[in-house]
Amino acid sequence: MSMETAQPKSVKHVPTYCYNCVSGPDFMCVKVVDGVATEIEPNFAAAEVHPARGKVCVKAYGLVQKTYNPNRILTPMKRTNPKKGRNEDPGFVPISWDEALDLVAGKLNAVRAKGLVDEAGLPRVAVSLGHGGTPSNYMGTFPAFLAAWGEVDFSFGSGQGVKCVHSEHLYGEFWHRGFTVAADTPNCRYNIAVGANVDVTGGPCAVIRHADARVRGYKRVQVEPSLTATGACSAEWVPIRPKTDPAFLFALIHVLVRENGLAKLDIPFLRDRTASPYLVAPDGLYLRDAQSGKPLVWDEVSATAVPHDTAGARPALAGSYRLAHAVVVDADKERREYSDVEGRTAYEMLSQHIAKYTPEWAETICDVKAETIRRIANEYLEAASIGETIVIDGKTLPLRPVAVTLGKSVNNGWGAFECCWARTVLASLVGALENPGGLVGTTVRLNKSRDNRHLSVKPGEDGFMVQYFNPTNKEEWQSAPATRNLHQTLVPIVGHNGAWSQALGPTQLAWMFQGERPDDWSMPMPTLPDVWLVYRSNPSISFWDTKHLAEVAAKFPFMACVAYTVDETNYMADVLLPEATDLESDQMIRMGGTKYMEQFWDYKGVVLRQKAVEPQGEARDFTWITTELAKRTGLTEAYFGAINKGVSGVSPLKGKDYDFSLDPASEPAPEQIWDAVCRAATVTLSEGSEEHDLEWFREHGFYAVPMSRLEWYLTPTMEKLGLRYELPYQERLLRTGRELGRRLHEQKMNWWDEQLSEYTALPEWHDVPGRWIRNLENTGAKIEDFPFWLLTTKSMQYHAGGNAAIEVMHEVAQNLRGHAGVIMNTKTAAGLGIAEGDRVEVRSHIGATYGKASLMQGIRPDTLIIIGQFDHWATPFANTIGAPSLNTIAPMSLDLTDATGSGADIVRVGVRRVEATA
Amino acid sequence: MTRYVMSIDLRRCVGCQTCTAACKGANATPPGIQWRRVLDIETGEFPDVRRTFLPIACMHCANPPCEAVCPTRATTKRADGLVAIDYDLCIGCANCVMACPYDARSIVHEAHFAYGDTPMASEAKRFDPDRIGVSMKCTFCVDRIDLAAITGQIPGVDPEVTPACVNSCISGAMQFGDIEDADSSVSRLLKETQHYRMHEELGTEPSVYYIWDQS
Amino acid sequence: MKKPFIRASGLASPKQQHNWDWRAASNFIAGGAGGGLLLCAALAALAGLDAFAMRAAILLGLILIGGGLTCVWFEIGRPWRAMNVYRHFSSSWMTREAVVALTVFAAGGLALLTGASALGVLAGILGLGFLYSQARILAANKGIPAWRHSASIPLMVATGLAEGAGFLACVATFSATSSGSAVLLGLLVLIAVRAWFWKSYLNGLVADGAPDAALRVLKALGPRLLLIGHALPALAVAAALAGMPGRAALATAAGILAVAGGWVLKFTLVRRAAFTQGMALPHLPVRGKGPSGPAVKPGWKIIGQAHKV
Repeated sequence: MSMETAQPKSVKHVPTYCYNCVSGPDFMCVKVVDGVATEIEPNFAAAEVHPARGKVCVKAYGLVQKTYNPNRILTPMKRTNPKKGRNEDPGFVPISWDEALDLVAGKLNAVRAKGLVDEAGLPRVAVSLGHGGTPSNYMGTFPAFLAAWGEVDFSFGSGQGVKCVHSEHLYGEFWHRGFTVAADTPNCRYNIAVGANVDVTGGPCAVIRHADARVRGYKRVQVEPSLTATGACSAEWVPIRPKTDPAFLFALIHVLVRENGLAKLDIPFLRDRTASPYLVAPDGLYLRDAQSGKPLVWDEVSATAVPHDTAGARPALAGSYRLAHAVVVDADKERREYSDVEGRTAYEMLSQHIAKYTPEWAETICDVKAETIRRIANEYLEAASIGETIVIDGKTLPLRPVAVTLGKSVNNGWGAFECCWARTVLASLVGALENPGGLVGTTVRLNKSRDNRHLSVKPGEDGFMVQYFNPTNKEEWQSAPATRNLHQTLVPIVGHNGAWSQALGPTQLAWMFQGERPDDWSMPMPTLPDVWLVYRSNPSISFWDTKHLAEVAAKFPFMACVAYTVDETNYMADVLLPEATDLESDQMIRMGGTKYMEQFWDYKGVVLRQKAVEPQGEARDFTWITTELAKRTGLTEAYFGAINKGVSGVSPLKGKDYDFSLDPASEPAPEQIWDAVCRAATVTLSEGSEEHDLEWFREHGFYAVPMSRLEWYLTPTMEKLGLRYELPYQERLLRTGRELGRRLHEQKMNWWDEQLSEYTALPEWHDVPGRWIRNLENTGAKIEDFPFWLLTTKSMQYHAGGNAAIEVMHEVAQNLRGHAGVIMNTKTAAGLGIAEGDRVEVRSHIGATYGKASLMQGIRPDTLIIIGQFDHWATPFANTIGAPSLNTIAPMSLDLTDATGSGADIVRVGVRRVEATA
Repeated sequence: MTRYVMSIDLRRCVGCQTCTAACKGANATPPGIQWRRVLDIETGEFPDVRRTFLPIACMHCANPPCEAVCPTRATTKRADGLVAIDYDLCIGCANCVMACPYDARSIVHEAHFAYGDTPMASEAKRFDPDRIGVSMKCTFCVDRIDLAAITGQIPGVDPEVTPACVNSCISGAMQFGDIEDADSSVSRLLKETQHYRMHEELGTEPSVYYIWDQS
Repeated sequence: MKKPFIRASGLASPKQQHNWDWRAASNFIAGGAGGGLLLCAALAALAGLDAFAMRAAILLGLILIGGGLTCVWFEIGRPWRAMNVYRHFSSSWMTREAVVALTVFAAGGLALLTGASALGVLAGILGLGFLYSQARILAANKGIPAWRHSASIPLMVATGLAEGAGFLACVATFSATSSGSAVLLGLLVLIAVRAWFWKSYLNGLVADGAPDAALRVLKALGPRLLLIGHALPALAVAAALAGMPGRAALATAAGILAVAGGWVLKFTLVRRAAFTQGMALPHLPVRGKGPSGPAVKPGWKIIGQAHKV
């Protein structure tokens, strides 16, 4: 290549977006000099509408290298070595697009000929998509293809389910339509962040919100075993023992409820917006009105038990009351009648339940001083400033500026249900749930509509909002799973809202059960899919027990991967399809509203990702690839039908007063598709007053209309509909668990019994870290050989960007402690004869991983941390940096799977020096 | 008179290296060369530990030791406070590298690229042979400052004429502007806050102010 | 040269400088000795050093200076622009060193050609100027605390002179005249002077503060320097002056040791003890609520103290 230093002939600044991680989209511009992308820049034209003021985080600055990385796959390839495995050179050879598409379409057509579902009742086509839904912001019209196709199995996860904030997703959405949950940071004054690493993972929107809050003087207490960047930026660091967070949070509730008492809590909120007054029978079920079946409350006005929605009643929050007659409804709608029965309010149940969880008790579990726990609880209560109000867009709302936020491995895996419950209860007790300053959900994924969570709030049973659990009754329970992760069979709460519910099932079961299955397995044997399509996903790095996973992946009969470089997963592929990457292709997506992690906007609208530069080599826009596959599988009609309905786009292409729908017969090119999407989106957003085409968007980048900040908070909507949050007592979960247990036992399946224990009305502490220790001992290993906890933490430079192959990211990440190494406590290391930079082996009972010791004071002496997900052996560049990975040595195990189907990034390990630094 | 300065609010910085990467992009620095970076400094002993993120680069000193020692006058202090290097004069003697107490300067003797000896298209486009064998450092994005003189825009206000790191900072930690202008955002911010300049005892009079608390 | 990989934990701490390697160090090592030798030779000439020895000393001095400058020429990034070094006489000691070097070569060359002792004396004075310029080059580098300390200037000059005297002692053994005692006496004095300035430099550095790593290196040098560079050559000189047999061998040994000690000292100073300033934070930031943190100066024991420049 020649060196060019001449004056450029053309310089363009092309507006587009970055959605490399779940915290997107964020705005940026690509500087293009004579057709070559040279720089990433903020898009200041979006500063007014974008919460992060038109800026992107460090990851986006790797996109130029991502475009020109010489290790890219730039032609379609096929495998020539029929043998698959880590030690088998795939022998990829370049082929034409025609041959590649025909190969894939041929396999798909064979599936259609046989039937979409196989003899085990499982889809013959499986699709794996990468991190947290981000691929949908790059895969153009592929969702329309999937819709046109029919049954697809999304079970083979790349980390979703186990690497996400899984219990938060499921329970957050259940309790307050919070698929993820955040502090209302702009108004918050006190944030207890239990492992929540927002300054690393929350994207630029979270970073600026918290930076502003710091300068304003809010207090954030970081409760976490190591001092992450977020901890570093907090006012206080509480180095808690790993996985003991539920005990800490229970003790906070104890201080509020038992030491401060109801009088200091937000009584109106508890009484009117929660189920605290509902009366509970001695058998643990709600006492109900015999006629209406509605839960009863004790009306202090009439001194009688009345249905919860009785007008004019003033329900009692505390105490127990005698009822002459009531009924309870148990699992499978079994109804029992009670006479002269004592009913305790749900709040009373909570108060008695929490009595034993004192700060002194928690100190023994968490290794955090009781006085610290008590102080934090009291600071939280004081900061809640119960009674204060704030005016937002002309409406007066309670201001409750306190929030407990949770991070990954706290809010997924065993113990996560307890944590999610406890922190939502903590918000409820002070009226901070879904009120300004408090704890707010961001969006929904298991309910509709994705773009406005308020629309998902509809009246359901018992005065709560409607929930769409997977049925557990005898007639409807799915006894033969329709997906390989059994999500509808095993996890009622994950629901059945399409790909999201599927992908959030117990994804490790899909991988595990391809190997061993429980002895009392009584369902059809899980099969391998005939065709496996992988897009922006590398589960052989990002899942657990990655060695085993790669072995399973090698068994799949046909695998087509959209490939950027060769990587650890597509090493087993039969066909590689090179995609035009982030800066080389077009797509329009929605932006604005409220969205994780902390995207709370004053606008909503659409933003275009656009081809800033021509694709390298033979790489093609994924919409083009998809359209070709639709053509070659005879799905053109259904595919464009789905596009016309708005799948893949942002609005239907045809609506009242407008019609931009595409004619399948004309075989519209990707540009025509996006042009129609642009027009439909603007007409819809502007309510017919404006229409902009693709060319307009190429220049302007985005289109936004204002949105009221009132949409950030759900409580006004709940109030309008007269609904209560299903807190603190979990009668529905208790019943659901009982039903699920009956169904499984009817099928003679006892292997999910431990998981059934999670279905409780009020969570108990159950030695959560002990589960990992018992798992270790069950394999015959000795605990003394594995004296440390190994955890992982995210890195803004790498997190979810799939950019381990990007040189500049590696370079800048090295400025921070611990990257590509093993972080351990300085004193612990000294005791083991380990010095900074020494190469160490970190060994669990399933294997070892290697890296350089990075010594810090800011980590518990009993804990090690490995940042990110590495240990690459195939990905060019990444395979040279020698970075270790927790994933290599963390097991997949049924013991370590919670009731939602999730696990956590934690494993017991030993560590030793293998050689000194040169 | 104009004197451009930068303020960095350490309360805001999260150590994300966005500015580091943005600078590398804006100035096309070779692998391993960072005209600015954010340091990760840990102090104290478990459990009383603090971690602080400290962005560093050329401080554009009013009394720059690098300028005094430079035998070629390649390094100059401009009237607007910027310390500049004329790559055509510099002989790469590294005296300025030794004189700088901020570790801001570096010399690259051979061209190398992100993925080996062959530049990517983006690297080839902007490879500047004049920067081989000479002293380099943060320029406060001098081209942008000079553009302001032509367009009439205001550095620190208009992004086109503001340093890339300041533009990129996602925590809003950085401000840039004329400290001689009492109304500039940087002047106003410095009035409201407590701040220091690094190694002030060395008499260098740096143009970078680190904010650590409100006043 | 390659920059060594520095881990994140070390980025804020003083780092050993790697831009001036053995080539730059050679300029200080050889050039300084050469300058010192020229002055010593001039003084010795006044005290009666014979013309042959004088010429030999001047030639050696010029070779040392020229050799050092050649090494530097091989180090700089743009050797073909080396003449630009003359552009900043008003403040750059490197420019001044280069200018003085020209005059040294002019005077020294003429002295060699003509044998005129006045030119030899002039070369000696200019040699001192060269030596002084070098000392000021180091001291002007505020980035290296071990150099910028004002006590480094007399130390550099003293060692240059001691090394020059050491060389001269060796050269003088070939002298026909009896100037040997004066030379040896001079060497003894200069060794003592260097020892004194070394001590005052190290004490000054410890008192005013320097990176721990630099102090470790310099403190470790102390005993070796005392033995090789000061005690042994002083003993040898004393023995020679006291009339012990083998005077020429003793003088030569004393000269070599005096030179070696100085060179070890300068190599240590220019390379091994040349740690950068590192970063410092007089205050750690307030993170929302609570107090700011105490001052931090990684790699320094004494916080907030730096010596006057």
